[in-house]
Amino acid sequence: MITYIGSEYINSPLANSAEDNFIKIKSGETAISFFKSKGINKEDLYLAKFKEPITFYKLLSQCIENLVLGTIKDILTSKDTIIFISTTKGDIEQNMNEPIIHSAASLKKEYNLKNEPITISNACVSGVLAMNLANSYLKAGICKYAFVIGADVISDFVLYGFQSLYAISDEPCRPFDNDRKGITLGEGAAGVIMSSDAEIFKSSPLEFVEGTSSNDANHISGPSRTGEGLYRTIQNTLELANVKKEEIDFISAHGTGTAFNDEMESIAFDRLGLTNVPINSLKGFFGHTLGAAGIIETAISMQGLRNNCSIKSLGYENKGVSGNILIQKDNIEKKMTTLLKTASGFGGCNVSAIIKTI
Amino acid sequence: MSYIVSYCHITSNKCFINGSLLDISNEGSPFIKNIYNSLGIKYSKFHKMDELAKTGFLGVELLKTSLPELANFSDDKIALLFSNNNSSAITDNNFEKSYKNGGSPSPALFVYTLPNILIGEIAIRNKWYGENIFTISKTFDPNYFVNTSNILLQKKSNITVCGWISKSDEEMNAFFFLVGKKDLKQLNLPLNSAELLKLINPENKE
Repeated sequence: MITYIGSEYINSPLANSAEDNFIKIKSGETAISFFKSKGINKEDLYLAKFKEPITFYKLLSQCIENLVLGTIKDILTSKDTIIFISTTKGDIEQNMNEPIIHSAASLKKEYNLKNEPITISNACVSGVLAMNLANSYLKAGICKYAFVIGADVISDFVLYGFQSLYAISDEPCRPFDNDRKGITLGEGAAGVIMSSDAEIFKSSPLEFVEGTSSNDANHISGPSRTGEGLYRTIQNTLELANVKKEEIDFISAHGTGTAFNDEMESIAFDRLGLTNVPINSLKGFFGHTLGAAGIIETAISMQGLRNNCSIKSLGYENKGVSGNILIQKDNIEKKMTTLLKTASGFGGCNVSAIIKTI
Repeated sequence: MSYIVSYCHITSNKCFINGSLLDISNEGSPFIKNIYNSLGIKYSKFHKMDELAKTGFLGVELLKTSLPELANFSDDKIALLFSNNNSSAITDNNFEKSYKNGGSPSPALFVYTLPNILIGEIAIRNKWYGENIFTISKTFDPNYFVNTSNILLQKKSNITVCGWISKSDEEMNAFFFLVGKKDLKQLNLPLNSAELLKLINPENKE
């Protein structure tokens, strides 16, 4: 059975559709901008933040409404539809004691959903993990249609937390670069529809082949020095997907811009022999959008597959990781058929997925 | 065919393996500390964990006593599926307190403001490299655990270590169980939602 994926949607501070976001970042625009005195000690810093504040719930509902527009069949209220939600902190600023679950219940009520949404909250890998889970549910026949949506908003809570770890860059983040200084936080939302039925999509879908996760079993907030979890998940995904590493046209990596994360990723890709495959991190365009990141980056990469273009890694100039890998300094335009998407996060979790053109 | 291999419970003042009450004191130290001591574990990282991670950690230690063969499973064939109702809310509140009113945000608390950190702690303790999924639902969702365990067991995993931890300031109900695909000579209960709903109440013995 094939899992089809399509109708990708992105809402970022740059634009409110996957197509417009893709066009803007392809031309080099970024959602990251300067904010004065925004830090815990009134530091100036950079964020990818919406001009007007928007709630977590509003972002989720916009995802659903925009995804519906990408289908030609009324599947939202079908008993065969499950909504998979990806987030790290959800509506924590409004609801400190019970974050996240009220949004799932409200979506069910507002859109008359037949099934309880499944909410994945697994740090920065949540988005890819949600797509992996949806793929497994579809292939097992548990549902026929999956709306996979992810969102996170910037909060003082998360900003101050990353500041306490000295992980926030004082300039726009520069993943994999020698002078990288840490992450830039972002906010946004994205969604995809996945289905075992190719006929529901307005534009022709791609194939979500397989995805897996693996833990580093090393440290709760520091990535493994050998990239063990990332290495294992990519190996498992390629095996299950029956895809050879030579077939991968480009890799949409996690690339946060912190010293240890980017180094770890480079070692894992190098160990796998993925030394000549173009790699990008899209964090230089959108910042780190946490629970939305995996889906935003997948949606951009799906646009890349459709338009035969892999976007450059903004902020990258000089290689600053020890692994022998190829970070994209420029957009690459050529025939693209196979994407490897990866992500890594706190708790030692790593995920990977393969998406192909049909 | 998947089976429930064994299960255990941790509540605010009681602890059960396969429905049998363990003789663990509820006096002196906090109950969770007494469970730790009763297991004879020496693991210094335990003491810096938040309550959610401590509870998940001990649940898995109890499951290990119920199935010693778990130590022989290949390290990336053990999947960890955990779920709760309020994410990391208790630590979130503590972290917020650390910086409200002019204080400095505590990095030691911040790293526990993600619920899946408990999966990381279990993976580190046991050197398990398998699949990880943390989900949040209002109440225990037996269908999720049945469907997801079945899926993972059909892919690369040989056993799923499952946990539901419902915890607030006042009370706790944590339910842990192992799902395997072949006869592990333990309980071998059929994996279905009705069975899980029966077992989640610690007073219901099989």
